Amino acid sequence: MDFALTEEQEFFKKMIAETVDKMIVPRAAEIDEKDEFPHELWHQFASLGYLGIRYPESVGGMNADKTMCLTFYEEVARGSTGFSTIVNQNCLMGTHFVYKFGNEAIRERCFGPAIRGEKVATICFTEDQSGSDLGATRTRAVKDGDGWRINGTKQWITNGPICDFCTVLATTDPSKGLKGLSFFLVEKGTPGFSGGQTLDKLGARGTATGEVVLDNVWVPDENFLGTEPGQGLVEVGEILGEVRLMVGASALGLARAAYTEALEFSRKRIAFGKPIGSFQLIREKFANMDMEMNAARLMLYYGAWLLEKGMDVTTAAAEAKVYATEVCLKVVDELTRIYGANAFAHEYAPQRYFRDARLFLYGGGTHEVLRDFIGRKLIGRL
Amino acid sequence: MNIVVLAKQVPDAEAHIDIGEDGKGLTVEQKFTANVFDEFAMEEALRLKEKHGGKVKIITLGTGKATEVLRTGIAMGADEALLLEDGAFLNGDGYATALALSRAAAKEPFDVILCGRQAIDDDRGEVGPMVAQFLGIPHGGGIIKLDIADGTATVECPAEGGKEVLEVKLPALFTAQKGLNEPRVPPIMGVMKAMKAAIPRVAPAELGISPEEAGAAGSKVRTEKYFHPKKKAAVQMIQGEPQEAAVEAVRILMDVERIL
Repeated sequence: MDFALTEEQEFFKKMIAETVDKMIVPRAAEIDEKDEFPHELWHQFASLGYLGIRYPESVGGMNADKTMCLTFYEEVARGSTGFSTIVNQNCLMGTHFVYKFGNEAIRERCFGPAIRGEKVATICFTEDQSGSDLGATRTRAVKDGDGWRINGTKQWITNGPICDFCTVLATTDPSKGLKGLSFFLVEKGTPGFSGGQTLDKLGARGTATGEVVLDNVWVPDENFLGTEPGQGLVEVGEILGEVRLMVGASALGLARAAYTEALEFSRKRIAFGKPIGSFQLIREKFANMDMEMNAARLMLYYGAWLLEKGMDVTTAAAEAKVYATEVCLKVVDELTRIYGANAFAHEYAPQRYFRDARLFLYGGGTHEVLRDFIGRKLIGRL
Repeated sequence: MNIVVLAKQVPDAEAHIDIGEDGKGLTVEQKFTANVFDEFAMEEALRLKEKHGGKVKIITLGTGKATEVLRTGIAMGADEALLLEDGAFLNGDGYATALALSRAAAKEPFDVILCGRQAIDDDRGEVGPMVAQFLGIPHGGGIIKLDIADGTATVECPAEGGKEVLEVKLPALFTAQKGLNEPRVPPIMGVMKAMKAAIPRVAPAELGISPEEAGAAGSKVRTEKYFHPKKKAAVQMIQGEPQEAAVEAVRILMDVERIL
């Protein structure tokens, strides 16, 4: 078992870390404070070409292995959770279906510009009454001539209010529940399609998250993104493991940022005549944080290894996502304890990390749902 | 235009450094980065290439992780790289290092050599000028502006209260300092190219360097001992009411620390 990164992976990690330090870290606080889509940073970062990281070189991507992909997600989140949330949509969820099922015209119109950062992509799952319970999806797609008519409102959509195109989950047959779901491409400018209210969120600020409204939207048949109607859940299942690892890696990135902040503070902050890092109970916190972050790292990158090998990653990815997120929540909590009262002030970074960490409880599945899912997989059919 | 960049892989500024018991050896945490002053040199080399055409070759002396500084250069846009890698090169002072680098630079004709004004590990700032001396070419130190036209470089160097403008006939060597440019962030295509690049290596004999001239054997300066910097008190508490304390703080900054 070789745990070492290859020389290529080491170099990639170093390069993306330096890029994040130069481009994203200095702007992270401002992105959070302004809570506006960071257009300038977006275009600068996109121009580097990283958005196509997981796609083949033949379509303008980087064809990076899964370890490099996870390294990328981890580092960008270390820089700014808000910015990484935007980036991740264009890297994976917002572009996967147009890449896999879109025809040449759709790829040229949507996929290519998205991985160049010229268009903002997203995927729309959640509705008012259906988050974890996708079977309760009400957005309806009805066959209409040589296309589909779609009606519904999506909520909590990352980039939703400002996206250029989105992959929309809709039901083509409500009677079939989960087996009646399909994905459709809807583009900005389509009559009836609009971005709705943007949410004022606790964390991951700088991401425009909110409603997407589909009011009698008609799309041609070519915008159906799938093999056949009703296969949506199967098709998203192919990337769910990767999505969960992405979320977990992002959580680990944020945890590392918080840990580093805590480490620097504990070395400089003087109490009772010496740095607080001299005290046993502070040292214990670092020991625990390091152990748990290392464990999360191993789980995540084991998941990347399984993915790279084409092996089943379902359980491993769900476990890694849950564990890495829970570790992140602990680390940001410890940071606020180590920082003392200053952690309670907007002026300092810890409060931003503390708020941002909550995001990861939702993306990729809530932990209650995932734990039940994992348990069922382990115990088997009874 | 053929441009050579001399770069160094240095310990990261955050790397932990221990001095040996006898004060002679250093144990450095294995965290490295490209010398920031060499990054300015690298960026300027690429700008020259973009303006005048030609190629950029980046050269470094080191082992193991030293390839990273070359790959960073390739990722930014360097066309070629060369690693001076051999045990015999190790533990050399500025003189021995400059000799080796000058021989490597001279393997092909060049117009400009660029390097950082100093390396952030030892801060000696001697290799650049020594390389120029070995090659018998002029050098401009600590430049913050470089223009080239008709085989002549015009450089600006800051001077106390002003700046110096020099005209230097090429080929020449220039050492870069902060203010020269803002190094570019490598695009992913550059990173991919760098990841896959095969780095050529060269040993002393291939550069015409004898065992007596290489590394520690060829050094003119020997480090006798390392000392820790004096430990100062971490914090000085200023007592008194806020107004009194503020007056005292300003007095300390102005009269004691002399930074205001």
